[in-house]
Amino acid sequence: METIEKPAAGGIVVRKNGAQGLAVRSAALIRRGIEDLSRESNWTRKPAFVGKASKVALSSHGNVCAISAETRGTAPRVTIYDLHNSFGQMALAVPGETPALAKHLPASFAWSRTGSYLAGAWAAWQPAIHVFDLDGKEFTGAFGKFQKLPSHVAWSPDSVYIAAATIGGKSASLRLWASGLRGAPPMEDAPLAQAGLPDWLERQTYEAEFGEEGAFHGYGNTVFSPDGKRIASVVEIQGEWADDAILIAEVPWLRRVQSFQAQGHVSDLTWLAGGDALVYCAASRAYRLDFEPLESQQLPFDAEFCVAHPTLPLLACYTSWQQDSAKGHLFIADLRTNTRYDECEADGVVEIRWSEDGAKTYAVSKDGMAYIYEPDFL
Amino acid sequence: MTQKSTDLKTLSASLGAIAKPEERELALKLEEHAAIQAELAERELKAEDLRAELGAFEKQYLHHVGTLYAELDELKAQIAARRAEANPSDQKAKSFACDARTRAEETKASAGEKSDVAPRSFEATLEMKRLYREVAKRIHPDLASEAADRSRREVLMAEANGAYESGDETRLTKILTGYEHSPEAVKGDGAGADLVRVIRRISQAQARVVELDAETAKLLQSDLYKLKAHLDEAKALGRDVLSEMAAKVAEQIARAKSQLDKVTAMR
Repeated sequence: METIEKPAAGGIVVRKNGAQGLAVRSAALIRRGIEDLSRESNWTRKPAFVGKASKVALSSHGNVCAISAETRGTAPRVTIYDLHNSFGQMALAVPGETPALAKHLPASFAWSRTGSYLAGAWAAWQPAIHVFDLDGKEFTGAFGKFQKLPSHVAWSPDSVYIAAATIGGKSASLRLWASGLRGAPPMEDAPLAQAGLPDWLERQTYEAEFGEEGAFHGYGNTVFSPDGKRIASVVEIQGEWADDAILIAEVPWLRRVQSFQAQGHVSDLTWLAGGDALVYCAASRAYRLDFEPLESQQLPFDAEFCVAHPTLPLLACYTSWQQDSAKGHLFIADLRTNTRYDECEADGVVEIRWSEDGAKTYAVSKDGMAYIYEPDFL
Repeated sequence: MTQKSTDLKTLSASLGAIAKPEERELALKLEEHAAIQAELAERELKAEDLRAELGAFEKQYLHHVGTLYAELDELKAQIAARRAEANPSDQKAKSFACDARTRAEETKASAGEKSDVAPRSFEATLEMKRLYREVAKRIHPDLASEAADRSRREVLMAEANGAYESGDETRLTKILTGYEHSPEAVKGDGAGADLVRVIRRISQAQARVVELDAETAKLLQSDLYKLKAHLDEAKALGRDVLSEMAAKVAEQIARAKSQLDKVTAMR
């Protein structure tokens, strides 16, 4: 109902509709219209942190874990940045932490599927995997003893297991622990299972052609299957021209189920939603690997990183090289049609992650630039 | 020219010829009053023009685009609810569904009900502007010096604003002539009392001019004005951006409907 508001002495005579002025009531819708109007693509970019970080981890809620080192005169810290809130950041500390004297110390972090927990190792901490409950904002504990810090850490989808991969030739391993969370057995230093030197792997010899021999380097990028019953890990082979392999093992025993020899070094791998195939990136190309039968097929796009959508046959990918372009590109690939779309120029991307509901994609570069993909509708 | 302004000029001219100091001062203040009265009317007209334009644009925006956002958010809420129903143990899905429902209700409340007739944009005729200026000069509350008269003027001014925004010329004329012929319009208690009254009116009018400037500046900085300005610029280039925005949201609605069908079929 239209009302006339009588002003106080000297006040403004203003007509209003109902108790709340229209301009106030519609403010959010007006802003939404302006944002939609100015949006030229489904990608937005914004700075996430200052400085450079070679190791970052993105959560499904848009939180970035990175080593922030870059205010002059301060020691590097492990810091969580919130991509949706420029002022939201939180430094993580562990008991007995000593100030890091050097920048770019080895580190590896991983968020649980829901973004509630973070597991990580950093050379400035004790050589163990440290677990944080980010919802409860507390340090949960540490486990494992490492001579060499893990190169990769991964959570099972239900947050019950944590896997850590290390390099180091004959001493390299892929190990699995119970996280002590969500009804899992308590954390212990001894792993539940371990995979060491892959005796199933054929020795690679390229002496005739390149004068170098491919030797087992260690385990690299590691990811659990969507149902958490299997784990895929890159078996890294040293040598510029060597070919990495992919190990598929049962959880929690880490018994080999299948293995596959890739072509070139594998930079990333991701399970597709149904768990019956994975996509890996090797030598800057993307491949689909089906398990039954075990068969690899090159996809018609280049990628160094790719992450599968939680429910749809889509990939969020990054390639640092593209013909006729000086810049790298983030893009979405549709595996039903093998086409790429929604591209965005981006440099130095080191991590990509879908939101838990699959409505958004987050990506972050080593120099702290974040990219958020938010299509109208998926 | 109205009877009252003729009276004021006559009074001012006759006072100028009289030697008493308070009468000379009153003559000067009456001239100042006439000037600020005209300025206030002009500012009030500009502010009312802006309010009316933005009010009309807001109604158009909510009618053409806002109601579509409400429809889109309702579909999104339904999709999220279906997904949560399909995965009863998934707490996140339940939380997403809850958030989506809250957002849908908020958008619906903001957009309001879509009317059958599309709202028109605001355009005042020159005659309407002239009438409004006269009304503001004659009955502006800040030109009153007595409480009872001020209250009456406030009601009349609000009515005049309504008549101006809806383009009702007859109502505006009626408000003006009604006040001119009312007993409150008759003044006069000697030069001293008139002088005090005029000084107060000038002060009130000056304060109102400052208020109007602040209000206008605030409106010009609002998101609503920015959006309207953008659309006006595009319109000058032959583009109907409001329709483009509506089409974009309609595309999203089509995709959301298709997604809802898929999610429903999977149950």
